Amino acid sequence: MLKMYYLSKFVVNSNQLISIPKLISRNHMKRIFTISGLVLLCSFFFTFAYAQNTTLKGKVTDAATGESLIGVSVIIKGSTTGTQTDASGAFTLSVSPNATLVVTYLGYAEQQVNVGNASTITIKMLAAASQLQQVIVIGYGTQRKVDNTGSVASVKGADIAKQSSENALASLQGKVAGVNITNSGSPGASPQVTIRGLGSIEGATNPLYVVDGVWYDDITFLNTADIENVSVLKDASSTAIYGVRAANGVIVITTKRGAKGGVVINYNGYVGWQKATNLVPMADATQYATAINELYQYNNITPPLFSDPASFGKGTNWYNQILRNAFTTNHEISLNGGTDKYRYNYSFGYLDQDGLVKTNNYQRFTFHLSNDLKITDAITVGFTATGLSSKSRDIDGGIFHELYGAAPTLPVFYKTGAYGDPADYHTGDGNNYNPEATIDFFNQHSKNKRFTGNVYGEWKIIKDLKFRTSFGGDLGLAELRAYTPVYFATQAQQSTSSSQTVDHTQTRNWIWENTLTYEKQIKDHRITALLGYGAQDYTTFYASGFAKDVPYVASGSIRNSFPDTAKNVLQPVTPDRQPHTRSLSEFGRINYSYRDTYLLNASARYDGSSAFYGKTGAQAFGWFPSVGAGWVVSNEPFMKNQHFFDNLKLRGSWGQVGNANVPINLSNVAVTNDASYLTAVFGNPQVSYQGRVINTVAPPITVWEKAESTDFGLEAAFLHNKLSFEADYYNRITQNAIFAIPIPASVGAAGNNIEGNQAKIRNRGTEFLVSWKDKPSTDFSYSVSANLGINNNIVLDVQTGQNPIYTGGNGIANGALATRIVEGQPIGEFYGYKVTGIFQQNQSSGAQPTAKAGDFIYQDTNHDGTVDTRDKVVLGNPNPKYAYGINTSFTYKNFDLELDMQGVAGVDIYNADIAYRYGNENFTEDFFTHRWHGPGTSNTYPSVNVGSNANAAPNSFYVESGAYFRVRNAQLGYTFDAKSLTRYGIKKLRIFANAQNALNIFGYKGFNPEVGSADGTVGNRGIDANVYPLYATYNFGVNVTF
Amino acid sequence: MKNNKKFLQRALIISIPALLIVVQSCKKSFLDVKAAGTVSATQFWQNQQDATDAVNGMYANLHEWTNIAFAPIAVESMGSDDVEKGSTPTDASFMNDFHNFSANSGEGQISDFWGGEYKTINLANQILDNVPAINMDATLKNRYLGEAKFIRAYAYFRLVRAFGDVPLRLHVPKSATEYNLPRTPKAQVWAAIETDLTDAAAVLPQSYSATDIGRVTKGAALALHAKVAMYQTASNPAKWNDVLNYTNQVMGLGYTLFPNYEQMFRTNNKNNSESIFEIQCMLVPNNPTASNSQYSQVQGVRGSTGGGWGFNVPSDALAAAFETGDPRRDATIIFRGEITPEGDAIPASGDNPMYNQKSYVPFSLYVSGFNEGCQQNKIVLRYADVLLMNAEANNELGNAAAALASLELVRARARAGNIAILPAVTTTDKTALQLAIWNERHVELAMEFDRYFDVIRQGRAAAIFGGRGWKANKNEVWPIPQNEIDLSAGVLTQNPGY
Repeated sequence: MLKMYYLSKFVVNSNQLISIPKLISRNHMKRIFTISGLVLLCSFFFTFAYAQNTTLKGKVTDAATGESLIGVSVIIKGSTTGTQTDASGAFTLSVSPNATLVVTYLGYAEQQVNVGNASTITIKMLAAASQLQQVIVIGYGTQRKVDNTGSVASVKGADIAKQSSENALASLQGKVAGVNITNSGSPGASPQVTIRGLGSIEGATNPLYVVDGVWYDDITFLNTADIENVSVLKDASSTAIYGVRAANGVIVITTKRGAKGGVVINYNGYVGWQKATNLVPMADATQYATAINELYQYNNITPPLFSDPASFGKGTNWYNQILRNAFTTNHEISLNGGTDKYRYNYSFGYLDQDGLVKTNNYQRFTFHLSNDLKITDAITVGFTATGLSSKSRDIDGGIFHELYGAAPTLPVFYKTGAYGDPADYHTGDGNNYNPEATIDFFNQHSKNKRFTGNVYGEWKIIKDLKFRTSFGGDLGLAELRAYTPVYFATQAQQSTSSSQTVDHTQTRNWIWENTLTYEKQIKDHRITALLGYGAQDYTTFYASGFAKDVPYVASGSIRNSFPDTAKNVLQPVTPDRQPHTRSLSEFGRINYSYRDTYLLNASARYDGSSAFYGKTGAQAFGWFPSVGAGWVVSNEPFMKNQHFFDNLKLRGSWGQVGNANVPINLSNVAVTNDASYLTAVFGNPQVSYQGRVINTVAPPITVWEKAESTDFGLEAAFLHNKLSFEADYYNRITQNAIFAIPIPASVGAAGNNIEGNQAKIRNRGTEFLVSWKDKPSTDFSYSVSANLGINNNIVLDVQTGQNPIYTGGNGIANGALATRIVEGQPIGEFYGYKVTGIFQQNQSSGAQPTAKAGDFIYQDTNHDGTVDTRDKVVLGNPNPKYAYGINTSFTYKNFDLELDMQGVAGVDIYNADIAYRYGNENFTEDFFTHRWHGPGTSNTYPSVNVGSNANAAPNSFYVESGAYFRVRNAQLGYTFDAKSLTRYGIKKLRIFANAQNALNIFGYKGFNPEVGSADGTVGNRGIDANVYPLYATYNFGVNVTF
Repeated sequence: MKNNKKFLQRALIISIPALLIVVQSCKKSFLDVKAAGTVSATQFWQNQQDATDAVNGMYANLHEWTNIAFAPIAVESMGSDDVEKGSTPTDASFMNDFHNFSANSGEGQISDFWGGEYKTINLANQILDNVPAINMDATLKNRYLGEAKFIRAYAYFRLVRAFGDVPLRLHVPKSATEYNLPRTPKAQVWAAIETDLTDAAAVLPQSYSATDIGRVTKGAALALHAKVAMYQTASNPAKWNDVLNYTNQVMGLGYTLFPNYEQMFRTNNKNNSESIFEIQCMLVPNNPTASNSQYSQVQGVRGSTGGGWGFNVPSDALAAAFETGDPRRDATIIFRGEITPEGDAIPASGDNPMYNQKSYVPFSLYVSGFNEGCQQNKIVLRYADVLLMNAEANNELGNAAAALASLELVRARARAGNIAILPAVTTTDKTALQLAIWNERHVELAMEFDRYFDVIRQGRAAAIFGGRGWKANKNEVWPIPQNEIDLSAGVLTQNPGY
């Protein structure tokens, strides 16, 4: 009877297919009744194919532009039968009379169309301006935006690809409220991304990237053009399904897949160049020599270094000498097509990007292959494979600082052709390098190979129940080769023997996940349930070889293996270069909506991570629950008669997520055998012995960081969906933040700290998004959207309490510490002396009795008559408070124009370059012009003795506003009339020109207000000791579809 | 066809629960991942090899940057009248703060020195706490414990000279409650040092076989004990008896002065007959990482390949301190423009007029990619120092003749047979002889990190260093590192005047 029940219920719900029992033969029935219930239900699916129907031909277009839409899903309501539109937007489907088609497409409103008796049909899709009906990608599935109770932002791949940037993340800048992206500038490098503020101190602060179901820490391997959609999951109810890796938000990326139809070939390409902008003018040779002579005078050194400063004239402009307009070219070709059963999308990309430094180059080949094969109506299998092969000629990491410090008095080459040698000028440490020699003899190449992707199988067990298994892998091979020849360039740049270094890093990761999804609509109840489990394994292997006396081979010995004659040494490998982690997870989620008005989402994940296994595994597992609720006010009956709101929705969510991307197994004390300080020497003759010691202290137990967050949101649309508005308030508290608490050095531990779950951090803020979209005439349409994220970061609790933890020494003279972490203040705020003026005379008494004329006057904050560390005050906050973006697009006839602007405000930068001096480095022209050089000459800028210990101490002079506004992207395109091109076999041809970062407005006196953290630690955020110049990119490109 | 489908369906249906079961069953063990190459602390301290490795690690730490390079130069040398900062005028100008006594508690070299010594102490404490329980060769175990006690004593000696009262940590802390120790009065620290040295002298061998040369010996323990006693004589003159006792014991152990003063400091005369304790350093072939001593590099001739950075350079006062014709002047100081006995031409236009010749390593030994002079041992204790301590103790205790005998041994070696120079000291006037012995220490041990604390010990600092800002009742010790005080939340106090 049970079986019969299933049968009858099935029939009732399949109101379109009343003839099912008829279709099943007696024999067939018999067999069905002999096997298990599940298989019975499945078998029914295969019977659908036998329905007798008429053939419907249709076409799906964009209601606004009339453009054909490719890959639109067209499904007969109440069934699993359906298809997708082909490259011309057409579809063919066998339907029964009066069937209703459910038409869905990412970014467009879902439509339900009754076919009636028509044999052809045109369906016009409305772009989801309202965002009400929009389908968005969420964790392990998709969801109608209206049903979502969390904070999820969706960006179409096309919008990202438009920016012609080699990294997709860079293109996200300014697109999504609450997502802060700091570009690093060097080719092939990934930007630093934070979502809703800094939530960790020791752990990773970047979001989790999920590409086609596979988890990554970065997406440098992805070609921007292969991206179909980017979904940014911001609140805990959206991210909790990713459990222990989701504390910093999740970015879910889907890549392009095939669409039914003939072969469609797309070619996208551009050429362009990058140009350094906003270069800080440096003192010329005469000014430099004048300044250095002054420096000698302040330090009572006679005679001055340069007897006649004016004789040097302007001297060498090192930026002009080393930097260039860097050429970039990028090509991508894709093939796309398929049948009802089989779909494919293949793409190949090539990028050749020069760096701003003359010798720097990055080349990348990518491929992206995806296949989907429908084995039966119920079973689909497929794969995605992404490959990357890149190589680069690298530059010395210190080159930019060398350029900044290099003496303009030094000629690049002498008349003899020899390198200008700083030793000949006694210009001292810090600029005893000739930058030209540095780049000429820096011979390092990196190669990266990466193969990643997944295979999946999907099985519709019964109509509403779907099982999916996905196995993803990521294999990476990175190789670095450096060769130092025997050479002599300058006193400081020479080598009397040759050597070669080869580093290999291999990553092998896999992830296996299985999910069961149940989707059902019963009258007004819409329910989606998900159950899943998975396992992951991440392994990195690192090996390094070093050999001396490797002969130079003209063909490039850097490519050769170590010769047999070389003295080869395999460098010892430290365990932290060989991380291996695993995790094991079970998860589930229920999304429920009633009358599309009342929404409830709940999810939970149970995660185990080897990073916290400790000795017994007792702490390895944890729960990550979330719940969200929403109320679509505009769908209430009492709102029926109002015409003000097209959509009004209130939502709220709460959840806990984890961050396992933290130092591994901290509570396990390891034995160290670091050769760099553990090599003992005994004997005659002397022999070295490797020591091993325990030199750290560890907390008894560490667990992952847990971020607990609450989110309240409001979504509204007015004026026939032309205007839409979204606002979010969030409060995210990271508990158990893993953090190194300094311990007294008298403990004798290496690093002088103990890491553990020792802090609590809060990020609280609001986000706004306003969009306006209109089409005033058939020729003209436009859209404008603006977003704003406001974030306040604060350390709520730290084990040291009001006893501050000082950090952030990067680039600060003599290792002074410029930032601190203390309860009640933002993470890593700048801390130091407040400058109140400049001493006009040498001091011999008072609060700074050893100060010289031209030194900073520091505020005696505690009025004790002396200036010391107790007088330090808060100087600024490196965590941006405001981040905003304005994105516009205009279409007029065949022209399209896009202008994206973006900026941050309420942020400070520590300009460490000014006092980052070892000797006679150059000064900026600004500093030279304003410097104190005699009584009355300045009361704000110090003398050229700025690098002295007293003046270089962290102080307010170096803290500047980091606010900026930029035109991130300006792009003008022209699409040729399709009619005139068809005879060439071209379906679409568009040409474009774009400019990125062409206009930057900021007051910061350094090179680039986008300052991340030099070493990735939060203590060094906002400290600028890096000098990577800001650059603009100009491209010309073409998009062709055949 | 249909059967195939069914088969597939069945297979999948069966496999789902099966997979679930598999995943569930291997749950915990799946997560027990051992990082490659790591040895957990719980697996350490099991056998003799572990003890050997830990002792090696303790020795190795002595030539690490904070223990042998900048921090010791700042704390143990820059205050002296024998040196100047060197290098270029603006490079590492903080070193000048030690020379003119304006270094404050936030100075990085102060905390480096403090931290470096306590790291050494921790490594010794690890051995002293854990090795006793290891089942191993008993003689070797005792020796290892003796070596650790010497090293711990040496580190505390350096700390107490530099800071006065310091936290006395004689065991590895077991929990966080034991991290924050207050300062122990220096008398108690001195006592702890002496206990360690007494224990060490009782078990350490007088010498080692060729493979173990460089380890601490009985002589080293006695010599350091003499020095430790000498530094307490200012407050406790009776300690001169200890100085005499321990130096006499060392003098009975067969050490002899190395005939050639200048060559004593070259790398081919490491661990010679005069050597009592040296920090052993070498160029480990093809391994620049392991060849980490920067002792010679930071003091090396600036601007020459194979030279160095040119810090801690001899002063005019030192150059003038030598008696006319004393060959030790040329052996101690590299002058700009000279050609060294090893044939290195020192550029006449160099950044500094003088460099330390005792840390000098001939440029020809330089290997590109390595720290310059990483081969150079740092001499900590040598027999001439013991003889001069012996002379001083004898004089203080009224044995002028014995004092003169010890003093003459040192002068005679310096004289190297040239009767025209360095005439024998003959005065038996206690004060005059004291001064003669002090002057001899000055020139004999110049640039060997002895002068600064020696002058303070002798009570002459105000007279000799006063011109540069040295103040009594303050500058006898350096400030306790400010970050250490901050971290202690009030448990640590600052030295007076800082």
